[in-house]
Amino acid sequence: MTMPHHGDSSSLSAEELAAMSPEQQMIAGAEADGVRIVHRRNRFPIPGTKAEKRAERGVSMFFLLAALAGVGFIVAFIVVPYHWQLPGESQNFRFYTPVLGGLLGLMLVLMGFGAVLWAKWLMPEEEAEQDRHDEPSTDEDKAFIQSTLAVGLQDAGVPRRSMLLRSLGLAGGALLTVPLVALVGAMIKKPGKQLDHTPYGILLPNYPNGVPIIYSTGIRVSADDLEPGGLATVFPVGYVSDASAPTLLIRLRPGQVVKARKGQAGFQFGDYVAFSKICTHAGCPASLYEQQTSRLLCPCHQSQFEVLEDAKPVFGPATRSLPKLPLGVEVVDGVQYFVAKSDFHEPIGPGFWERS
Amino acid sequence: MVLVAGLAAMGGLYGLFASSSGADSSTADSANIATGQQLFDVSCITCHGANLQGVTDRGPSLLGVGASATYFQLSTGRMPATAQGAEEYRKTSQFTEAQTDDIAAFVQSIGGGPTVPTGSLRTDSSQVAAGGELFRLNCASCHGLSMRGAPLSAGKTAPSLGAATDKQIYTAMQSGPENMPVFSDNELTPDQKKSIVTYIQTMKASKDPGGNGLDRIGPVSEALVIWILGIGAMVATILWIGAKS
Repeated sequence: MTMPHHGDSSSLSAEELAAMSPEQQMIAGAEADGVRIVHRRNRFPIPGTKAEKRAERGVSMFFLLAALAGVGFIVAFIVVPYHWQLPGESQNFRFYTPVLGGLLGLMLVLMGFGAVLWAKWLMPEEEAEQDRHDEPSTDEDKAFIQSTLAVGLQDAGVPRRSMLLRSLGLAGGALLTVPLVALVGAMIKKPGKQLDHTPYGILLPNYPNGVPIIYSTGIRVSADDLEPGGLATVFPVGYVSDASAPTLLIRLRPGQVVKARKGQAGFQFGDYVAFSKICTHAGCPASLYEQQTSRLLCPCHQSQFEVLEDAKPVFGPATRSLPKLPLGVEVVDGVQYFVAKSDFHEPIGPGFWERS
Repeated sequence: MVLVAGLAAMGGLYGLFASSSGADSSTADSANIATGQQLFDVSCITCHGANLQGVTDRGPSLLGVGASATYFQLSTGRMPATAQGAEEYRKTSQFTEAQTDDIAAFVQSIGGGPTVPTGSLRTDSSQVAAGGELFRLNCASCHGLSMRGAPLSAGKTAPSLGAATDKQIYTAMQSGPENMPVFSDNELTPDQKKSIVTYIQTMKASKDPGGNGLDRIGPVSEALVIWILGIGAMVATILWIGAKS
């Protein structure tokens, strides 16, 4: 028998139930659920004694202290200095986080203490036992459950009404497909034309001599700026914070010769080469340049590009060479300043399968 | 030391160079260069050659590297090298500051090149933020935002900046040791280089909020203490309360 206790509870008549105090009813209810309260004693049988008052004050003291810690947290949040100071000045800011954490922790701990002591000091002592049910269910119970399910299916007409079932299947399929359309649809969105050009391409019509190349400070890059083995991150004029603009300008060491790809032989200027800084794998800045071994590394997934082979990937997950910028110079007041003769000839950044 | 003395005696050879290069130097400088050459002839000549021309399969030519590169390599202890390899590591310098300067003066006198900067290499604190911008753009990719260094290809590493002095950071940018790119004065002006030095040293000198810093990655250390000590104390207290009642 699985549900004897519920059956037993109905053995109390309405009159018997009405005659019971709430506490007796609670005990009877627990018993009906298989929980027997074997010992129950009120700690303070006479209400309002001095001892009870003292215990109550003790518990509320913890809650009051918790509230004070909470107020302290708010005060500390506003008052304690949190600004970093230059070395040599007093570094009071470093107490900010520990003070906040300490007060918040104190508040929670005091509330916990209060709750525990409330139960220990004020609530009645109680010991209860509960029957342990043997495993597994009886054969009778198993048979009951099986036939309940079988009859339920019969009532719904599942074996007979196949049209209903199939249409329900279709509705369920639609229910699953709707969120899938949103999820998968977002992933196969075509990038359109936005990856076909970088700021170099946008600016090109405005600059017949080529797009001026600048440092992050806005100063134009001249052809005698870098030493051999030098590296600079440069940008098209006005686009220092554009995500697709960063370009690596490298001045090769004597003896280093770049093997240009087909159709890109004229992209180099003297011993200067320029590549997109955006890794073709996942779009990180691939700017760890080893000037002696002429390797460019991407710190995210350890892709390596051989600069002397036109930034061809030689290690790691990247599969595409870094796009090369066609470098040229424009002479202003006798100084050769670098310009981009055109945009990159291929999309920069991580590969995508709809590449045009 | 016997070897040093013996080889120092051979330094009579330096007269040849002193006479050719000392013409445009003051007497104090030529004395330094002479001492530098003596030290060079003892410690460097085997791999770099008597005329700094380099020795095949041993060491590169030092013509044109200048005092700057010499100062960096010697003061960080990378040179004299313990063994041939793609990378030398920082170790205790074999030379005093004065000896390092002398050797640098000698190398400078033969081949020329970038010189070691003099005076303070710091800017005032208003340039720290600008230095930080330049650091993140030019240095952080290899040396890391936390300046603890990072791996490069084939087992090579970009070193930590933890022990680097102002002068070492500056001369490293100037000379581009090993695989580090060279940052010329046109690309990063001396003032910009100084602002980078100031930023690095300021960050290194500043304290982490609370507890021990773990590359400033967050309050991990504090949380560890809270877990072990704090929760331990709480469990003990709960047991104590349970035992008392």
